[in-house]
Amino acid sequence: MDNAVQVAGLVKRYGKLEALKNIHLRIAPGEIFGLVGANGAGKSTLIQILVGALRYDQGQVSVLGFEPLKQARLLRRDLGYMPQSPALYEDLSSRENIRFFGRAHRLPDLEKRLDEVLDFMQLRDRQNEPVHTFSGGMKQRVSLACTLIHRPKLLLLDEATAGVDPKLREAFWAHFHELAAQGVTILFSTHQMDEALHCSRVAVMRQGVVLACDTPRNLLMRGRAQVKIWRGDTVLDERLDDYPRTLPLLLQQHGLDPAVSRIEVIEETLEDVVLNLINAGEDSHV
Amino acid sequence: MFDQMLAVAWRVLRQLARDRRFLGLSLFVPLLITYMLYVFFEGVKNPFVKPREFILPMGAFMVHFITYLLCTIVLVRERTAHTLARMFVNGYTRGSVIGGYMLSYSLLATLQTLIVLVALYGLFKLDYDWQTLLAIYGVTWLLAVISIALGILVSNFARNEGQIFPFVPLVTLPSLFFSGLIVPVSSLPQWMGALAYIAPLYYATEAIRGLTGQKGDVSQWAGLLIYGAIVFVLATFTLREQE
Repeated sequence: MDNAVQVAGLVKRYGKLEALKNIHLRIAPGEIFGLVGANGAGKSTLIQILVGALRYDQGQVSVLGFEPLKQARLLRRDLGYMPQSPALYEDLSSRENIRFFGRAHRLPDLEKRLDEVLDFMQLRDRQNEPVHTFSGGMKQRVSLACTLIHRPKLLLLDEATAGVDPKLREAFWAHFHELAAQGVTILFSTHQMDEALHCSRVAVMRQGVVLACDTPRNLLMRGRAQVKIWRGDTVLDERLDDYPRTLPLLLQQHGLDPAVSRIEVIEETLEDVVLNLINAGEDSHV
Repeated sequence: MFDQMLAVAWRVLRQLARDRRFLGLSLFVPLLITYMLYVFFEGVKNPFVKPREFILPMGAFMVHFITYLLCTIVLVRERTAHTLARMFVNGYTRGSVIGGYMLSYSLLATLQTLIVLVALYGLFKLDYDWQTLLAIYGVTWLLAVISIALGILVSNFARNEGQIFPFVPLVTLPSLFFSGLIVPVSSLPQWMGALAYIAPLYYATEAIRGLTGQKGDVSQWAGLLIYGAIVFVLATFTLREQE
């Protein structure tokens, strides 16, 4: 198995609406791969196809070497899926929910793993309380615990950290990095651009199309920089593409002019870059 | 698959135990309707109406209706809450999900059947011997279990709770029309009489009437069993793992 996930020419239609349009993706084992995009971009549809919960119309899909529709049984042993909604039994406690999803995998040391995962998710104190008494963030924690209980090789997390407080979110990411270091592949969908920085690669999606797929650093390099140079009483204000290369050229024009009193470079954030990509995509579709 | 089925059944039973209002109503409502049935027949002082011809099949219909409805709603709720999809992605099989539900709801149906029959026995002062009563219980219980499978089958065609409602009369009313309770099936036009075979209550009514010495056919319990097996297979094959 070269790639944990391999998708080629994937098309998914809901009636006349083409939700995914000719998607190509390759995700290497141990990679943390981010799917970024607004609502309706196709992130959840793509994840549901990868877990074998949704049929697709065209293309080839391979997940951990298996075809998700035809080899679902084999695939699901090593797959952890966290849906966008918590998908929990509200009348049951967190421990009972996690135990129930764990029992599907016939784990011999289920109770030990339950203790571990409850500790990690900081749920031990309220493990016996019904889930309907929990906040949204706590439900997300229970949902993630249900996903991790059988130690899957591939994690597919649909908006996993939505509603989770920043401190716990950092703990989640530390754990995801630990898992990735152990060879677990993680596919993560999010709206939040700061989270994309945790990913080894990011695919920016818009209306069923992958607009860009690259490392967060390379995506940042696509951003423009605003450069302001104060020279005497005048201020030169320039916007530069690929500023690591173009900024020296601009500065060379000024040499070491002692009149240059201040230089300010404001880089675009990843969020700006992604929004620009999405907006450019929209413009091209008008 | 068996341990997965037990896991599903255990989980459903835990949920039922936690939802005391649901459980209480599920057991109290059949009792209340049985009492209303008693009040109704007490009020009808018509010498041509013989309550004994109706009450046991009516009791079976009550159990059939309530069990079918509860199971349909619960399964659709699983779908809308995405827990059904999550079960499949976690490796639960279609057979284990259906088997687990059948097992857990059979316990509820066992209690409902017992409550209805004990209430009918007491209120209408039935004097059948214990073997007959046990056989009636068996037939009614079988109908209740089949109603669970029927509920699962129907839930497979509904995407949300709202879509269940057209299916409620679609299943229960023809079941009543073609059961032989209102008019004998033999008096219906031939093509219409054939529809009785798709109504589970027809087999139960025939068997119960046969057991209680009325015009009926005891051997129709076997028809009920075959009907149940067909519904179970259909429910298993129509339960979609993939949307």
